Amino acid sequence: MNSPNPTTVAASPPETPPRRRAIRLPKDRQAIVDNFFRFQSLFGLVAVFLIAIAVSPSRNGENVFLSSGNLANIVRAVSEIGIIAVGMTFVILIGGIDLSVGAVLGLAAVGSATLMVDSGLGIVPTVLIVLFIGTAFGATQGAIVARLGIQSFIVTLAGLQAARGIARMWSGGLGIPIAYGEGPQEAPEAFSLLSGSINGVLPVPALIFLAIGVGALLVLRSTAFARHVYAIGGNEKAARLSGVPVRRVRVTVFAISGLLAALAGIIHAGQLNQGSPNDGAGYELDAIAAVVIGGTSLAGGSGSMGGTIAGALLLGILNNILALNNIDANVQLVVKGLVIVAAAALQRLRPRIA
Amino acid sequence: MRYARRAITILALTALAVTTGCSVEKDGGDSGTDASAQCGSGKEFLIGMSQANNAEPYRQVMNDDVSTAAKAVPGFQVVVSDAAQDNSKQVADVENFLSQGINLLIISPNEAKPLTGVVKKAYDQGIPVIVLDRKVEGDAYTAFIGGDNVAIGKAAGEYYAKTLLPQGGKVVEISGLPGSTPAAERAQGFREGIASNPKIEIVATQTAEWLREKGQSVMDAMLKAQPDIDAVYAHNDPMAEGAYLAAKAAGKETAIKFTGIDALPVASGGIKAVEQGRLQATFQYATGGREAIDLAKKILVDCTKDVPKSTTLGTLQITKDNAAQAYTELGGKQ
Amino acid sequence: MTDRPLVRMTGIGKRFGGVHACRDIDLTVTAGEVHALLGENGAGKSTLINVLSGVITEHDGTIEVDGEPVSFAGPADAQRAGIATIHQELDLVAGLSIAENMFLGREPRTRLGTVDIRRMRRQAEAHLRTLGADLDPRRLVGSLRVGEQQLVEIGRALSLRARVLIMDEPTAALADAEVERLFATITELRRAGVGIVYISHRMAEIELIADRVTVLRNGTVAGSVDPRVASRDDIIQLMVGRSVDALFGEGRNEPGAVLLDVRGLAVTPRRPVPGRTEPAGVDLTVRSGEIVGLAGLMGAGRTELLETLFGAGGSGRRAGQVTIGDRPYRPSGPRAALARGVAFVPEDRRGAGLMLEHSVADNVVLSALSSLTTLGLVRRPLLRRTVAEQLTTLAVKAASPSIPVATLSGGNQQKIVFAKQLLMRPRLLLLDEPTRGVDIGAKAEIYHLLHRLADSGMAILLASSELPELLSLCDRVVVLHRGRTVAVLPRASATQQAILAAANGDDVKESR
Repeated sequence: MNSPNPTTVAASPPETPPRRRAIRLPKDRQAIVDNFFRFQSLFGLVAVFLIAIAVSPSRNGENVFLSSGNLANIVRAVSEIGIIAVGMTFVILIGGIDLSVGAVLGLAAVGSATLMVDSGLGIVPTVLIVLFIGTAFGATQGAIVARLGIQSFIVTLAGLQAARGIARMWSGGLGIPIAYGEGPQEAPEAFSLLSGSINGVLPVPALIFLAIGVGALLVLRSTAFARHVYAIGGNEKAARLSGVPVRRVRVTVFAISGLLAALAGIIHAGQLNQGSPNDGAGYELDAIAAVVIGGTSLAGGSGSMGGTIAGALLLGILNNILALNNIDANVQLVVKGLVIVAAAALQRLRPRIA
Repeated sequence: MRYARRAITILALTALAVTTGCSVEKDGGDSGTDASAQCGSGKEFLIGMSQANNAEPYRQVMNDDVSTAAKAVPGFQVVVSDAAQDNSKQVADVENFLSQGINLLIISPNEAKPLTGVVKKAYDQGIPVIVLDRKVEGDAYTAFIGGDNVAIGKAAGEYYAKTLLPQGGKVVEISGLPGSTPAAERAQGFREGIASNPKIEIVATQTAEWLREKGQSVMDAMLKAQPDIDAVYAHNDPMAEGAYLAAKAAGKETAIKFTGIDALPVASGGIKAVEQGRLQATFQYATGGREAIDLAKKILVDCTKDVPKSTTLGTLQITKDNAAQAYTELGGKQ
Repeated sequence: MTDRPLVRMTGIGKRFGGVHACRDIDLTVTAGEVHALLGENGAGKSTLINVLSGVITEHDGTIEVDGEPVSFAGPADAQRAGIATIHQELDLVAGLSIAENMFLGREPRTRLGTVDIRRMRRQAEAHLRTLGADLDPRRLVGSLRVGEQQLVEIGRALSLRARVLIMDEPTAALADAEVERLFATITELRRAGVGIVYISHRMAEIELIADRVTVLRNGTVAGSVDPRVASRDDIIQLMVGRSVDALFGEGRNEPGAVLLDVRGLAVTPRRPVPGRTEPAGVDLTVRSGEIVGLAGLMGAGRTELLETLFGAGGSGRRAGQVTIGDRPYRPSGPRAALARGVAFVPEDRRGAGLMLEHSVADNVVLSALSSLTTLGLVRRPLLRRTVAEQLTTLAVKAASPSIPVATLSGGNQQKIVFAKQLLMRPRLLLLDEPTRGVDIGAKAEIYHLLHRLADSGMAILLASSELPELLSLCDRVVVLHRGRTVAVLPRASATQQAILAAANGDDVKESR
């Protein structure tokens, strides 16, 4: 008899004590604990950073991890996932999920390559068209979720397949290489700057990630839109009855996610000089991991953009330091899994309201 | 809604401004990094092996070949990274190798174009680069080692024409991922090989995307559509095995002959399938792992300056007669 | 009736962090008695109940059952000792049958090890008969009304041979007719020697059925009295620690012009939803400055009517006319309703009114955000000021506007829902059971608030299943039966009997 008698699964009347194991301390220390959990991912980031310095191999007396080239590699490597994760954060905050982002990234990469190489468009129209496609794709998924009331998991799972299919049809199933130059079948040279870096230090994709991250941080902090996002995640019914335009916010949120996935796809194409329909496979899971490590609840309604950015960086540092120490690729996967579980477990310990 | 539109606009504009507005420089190679250590015997060498996708048995065997061969060379230490089929990840893997200061890079690229840049970066730093199986663009690498899929396909075709179906017959082809070069070349070579026997007819071609389970479902369908199939030419062993399972389910596994390609020396590989009689034949697609380490030894230990830019690996036809022997020779574990 | 206590709790205390949820509480339950447990929200009732039912395992003090000291390692232990709990929100699986629910987790087995469905059904039937319930044990629990579901829960407790039954606000979700039936059941149980711990906010009920009343305040026992001797005011004074003289205010202004006029409103749903009674011919008017009550049994369609008027009801074809002011009114959704000056305080405050984990401030401003922003950006100082004003106006007791709403008491939570809607400066306020689960002190404050709002010219339409509340607050009571207006009783002629008769569908002459 493994099913507990249901009367034990008590409903919670108003004054029920917290049933989760929560850390409770005297008042003055409680504040410290509260803030620890609030900035959990930031502390985690600092901790992982310090550990990375400590365990980094050194080469010619120099700490390999701290070398400017290596740090640039890290931020470059996380920028695409980071940008996607920013969009994903909005979606998860309303209690949804967007599984289509990796496929939209692939679609956008193919779009960038095709429009420039085959259609001979310039950079600006290409970027605008691709961003529009991503936004429209996201908005369509949002509209289906909002209008038909289908769970976003299912809608974006379908969207994932659709975006991959469209990308394969558009590209003929093959990666489209991007050659640079003035001639036909060549993309403007400037596009390759996406794989460059500013003063040879800060990679361009990282700069874009930074700009998007800061922008999203501000949006989430001080707009009415953001409050509506949190409200829908907190209690959708209450939000609707309070006059929040639930459908419109939903559509907008998925549109943002699609837009940012498309942006990441453009960067992807620029970095790798190719747009392939298989690009970005599995990126949605890395983005979700970054959001979760950042302390955003998959149930919606609570979380922060700063956490997501820190979560993405944390994953990047982790990948890097494991690789620098030649940890077996399979062990790396296990370690990443453990970190995600640990982050989620920390969330459970978080002080809860009674 | 005003604010919603505004939020999108802000994000879009930021993105645009940043993607197009700033002036930046393209990345050259890292300046000032030391070139590879001096060659010579009695020294320690760190070799980075960047693998495209460990999850494919063929690539796992390639890793094993590299590691096994390297163990035999004193002073060689090999580190392996797995890009899990992701170009970006493989770029980062190579960057990490460079940070660690490898003395030689062996790379089996996931795709050519995206990895050309990072391979060139390593090469420009003076690190010898050996490219395995799939090429990169340009010539900024030290050596390429790979099989010849047209030749393998042709060998298979000739086997059909002379040995398997000398009287002719109906052949169905189960092909690899559409658009992939090996699939195209194995198809082309096969047609060249069977040209000498006009009585052999390819009655259907279906893709199973290199996958065993798809091979099975595709064969299920073809068994219904084509009542009298004499042989199945699959572009790899797993698809041939899948097709065999489908035929077995239909009770036709003895009437139809199956061949594959790859001949991996592992328990689930094609050599064992031939030995156990499910496949008539399979054709080795060599990993080049051992050859890569031989080359690395020449470059690093023997200080050979002049290594061949391109090495094409031959194939080995494996039938019941030589299967057991080939399995051992290719390094398979019992 | 024996005097030997079934359960004796001595010196019970429990701390959460630095806070005493309850301290040094003694409580006994004897066979065949109904022992009422009273107290405002936060007084420690739930904690005490959780200790007794084994949910809280670490606590101070001792529990004796039949004179033997016991220590529960979990709810299962408490059940084995004969202590069963009927929670306010019922713990039933909607997709299973009555019998399956009763024996969930301990299904009788046949010799082959499969579930003995026949025996299960037979036993379930027997328990239901004991309770005087004529229900087929094969019916799905999801298709039962709340009152019937409660009987299933009680039946399950009986099947566990429970000797002490804890009932947490069992009448909160029941209409009056169902309450009577429940009381009959309680009388039966009492006769059978079951001891009952009864928690309720409703004074009238306690006077009716309790043998003893223990009042908790701030985690300690404020007093234990015999309700047949003590007056209602005495008990209230014990609960709130001060005397509450007039619970219901008097003296009202003259009502103004007709604000809401509903004629023949009916909604034919595209897909009927089981358990919902859409309006099927509603006529009513509310003048500004007037409080109009909506009465009816469970399933009479009170909530559905309010939702329809707020644009939040089920979709379907609408008939009839609704006007607000002089203009026709047909809201496309809550947003449109709010824009027309119609506000709604839903019945299910936790499920539909509040974002529990979000801060007081976030909840208060949610509806009015657009008036607190410039170019989509929130004006923080203005927002802070607005929240502070609202909290003061409504006398919300909250440590700070930034604490989560869930930490507030039920009454203060309800005030937050009010504050959110009042920020929209509505002309018409729709209220669905605004005082459910609210302690008596906060109840009084809400009543005063409603009077104040009406006096300021707001029109209020209030649905309630507490008849005394309707009778004392409202200028008129509209009685619904199966989605139709069956009576409109002015204050002078409205009595409990008249309302109940109309609500039961008895022929009552309209006396408009």
